[in-house]
Amino acid sequence: MSGIVQEIVAADYDREVLGAETPVVLDFFSTECPPCEALAPKFEAVAGQFAGKVRFLKIFRQGNRDLAVRLGVTGSPTLLFFKAGSEAAPRMSGEDIKRSALKAAVEGLLA
Amino acid sequence: MAERHDVVIIGAGPAGLAAAIYAARARLRTLVLDESIPGGQVKTTHKVSNYPGFAQDVEGAALAAAFAAQAQRFGADVRRAVEITKHDLASPVKTLELDEEETVEARAVIVATGARPRPLGVPGEDVFKGRGLSYCATCDGAYFEGKDIHVIGGGNSAVEESLFLTQFARTVTIVHQFQEFQAEPASAQEALAHPKIRVLFGHEPRAFHGEKALERLEVEDLRTHERKQLRTDGVFVFIGMVPRTELLAPYLELEPGGYVETTDGMETKIPGLYVAGDLRVKRFRQITTAVADGTVAALAAQKYLRAG
Repeated sequence: MSGIVQEIVAADYDREVLGAETPVVLDFFSTECPPCEALAPKFEAVAGQFAGKVRFLKIFRQGNRDLAVRLGVTGSPTLLFFKAGSEAAPRMSGEDIKRSALKAAVEGLLA
Repeated sequence: MAERHDVVIIGAGPAGLAAAIYAARARLRTLVLDESIPGGQVKTTHKVSNYPGFAQDVEGAALAAAFAAQAQRFGADVRRAVEITKHDLASPVKTLELDEEETVEARAVIVATGARPRPLGVPGEDVFKGRGLSYCATCDGAYFEGKDIHVIGGGNSAVEESLFLTQFARTVTIVHQFQEFQAEPASAQEALAHPKIRVLFGHEPRAFHGEKALERLEVEDLRTHERKQLRTDGVFVFIGMVPRTELLAPYLELEPGGYVETTDGMETKIPGLYVAGDLRVKRFRQITTAVADGTVAALAAQKYLRAG
C-alpha cells in the first residue's frame, strides 16, 4: 500500500498542498504516537479508494515543527483538508478518527 | 459467506486481550477487533506502576504490546483499525460487518470497548481540540517543549500526567475544582513539591478562547465566583472517562452514566453476549479489574459454547 500516501517536508508544502490541482488531505504525524499508528492503516485504505481524485500526504511533525506551529497544529495525528489552496473542512485529530468519517470528509471535498 | 469464529471480542484493551488469551488457550477460534491499535487506554499511559508482575514501572505501550503478543501466541487473530459498520448481536448466531466489506459471525461475543476521555463540555472545547487542547499527554506532550501549559483535573491521571508533562513544559498549572487532590498521596506529594508545577485549587474551567489556536483558559473561582482568563500555550484534560457503549445501546438498557449491568459471569440479558471491563457497572476501574473481567467473560463464554 505504500506509495499511495506520499510523505512531504515543509519545503514542499506550498507546491504539493496549496498548489495542488486536486483536493489534498494532509496528515501531521509523530513517532511514539499510538493514535498515529492507529490512523495509518485507515488513512492508507481511504487513500486507495480515492486514488487519482484526492492526494493523501503525510508530514512528520518533529521534522517540520515550524510549519506545524504556523498552521496551529498541536496534536498528532491531525488531518487537514485542502481544496484550491485553502482548508475546506474541519480538521480531525486524536484517536477517534473513524474510517467512515474520514471517507465522508473526503467525499465532501469532491462535492 | 460470513467467516465463522467461536468468539468475537470487540475491543483490544486489557479486558479484551485477557479474554482473548483465555479463549485462544481453550482452543476457541478467537477474533479480536479494535478500531485503533491494541492496548486500549493502557497504550497511551506513560507508565504503569501497579500492575502485578512488574517490579519496576512498565511503559503503558510496552504492556499493551505484551498483552497483544501473548494473545496472538495462542492463536487469537487480533485485527487493528477495524470499524464495525453493521451488527446483529441479539440473534443466537451474532453477525458483524467490518469496514462495509466483510462479515464475521460467532455464537459468543464479548464487548470490551472500554471508555474514552470525558470531555469538559465547556464552550470552545470542540474548536480547540488539536489546536492547543489535548486529552493525551503521551501523544502531544512533546508539542509543548518550553511552554506554559495547564492541566484540568485532580485525580491520579491528572497528577501523574502533569508530572510526565514537566519533562517538556516550562510550567504546568493544575486547575482542580476541590481544595486538594484526589490522586494517591505518593503522586500528589510529588506534584505539590515539583518546581515546575503550580496548582490552582477551587477553580473550574468555563471556556477556551483564542484566534486560530488556543490562547486563553477562562476559569471560575468557585468560592468568589470571580472569573479570570489565564494565558496558556496548551491545556490537557484528565477528568475521568465515559463508557463506549454505542454498540450496545440498541440491545441493552444502559444504567445511569451509560454503564452496562452484568452478572458476575459478565453475562448480559442476551444469551452469548458478554460485557467486560470499564463499561460495566462496577466500583473500581483498573487494569487489574479489566483483566479479571476479561478472564471471567472468556471462561463463561467457553462454558456457554460447550453446553450448546
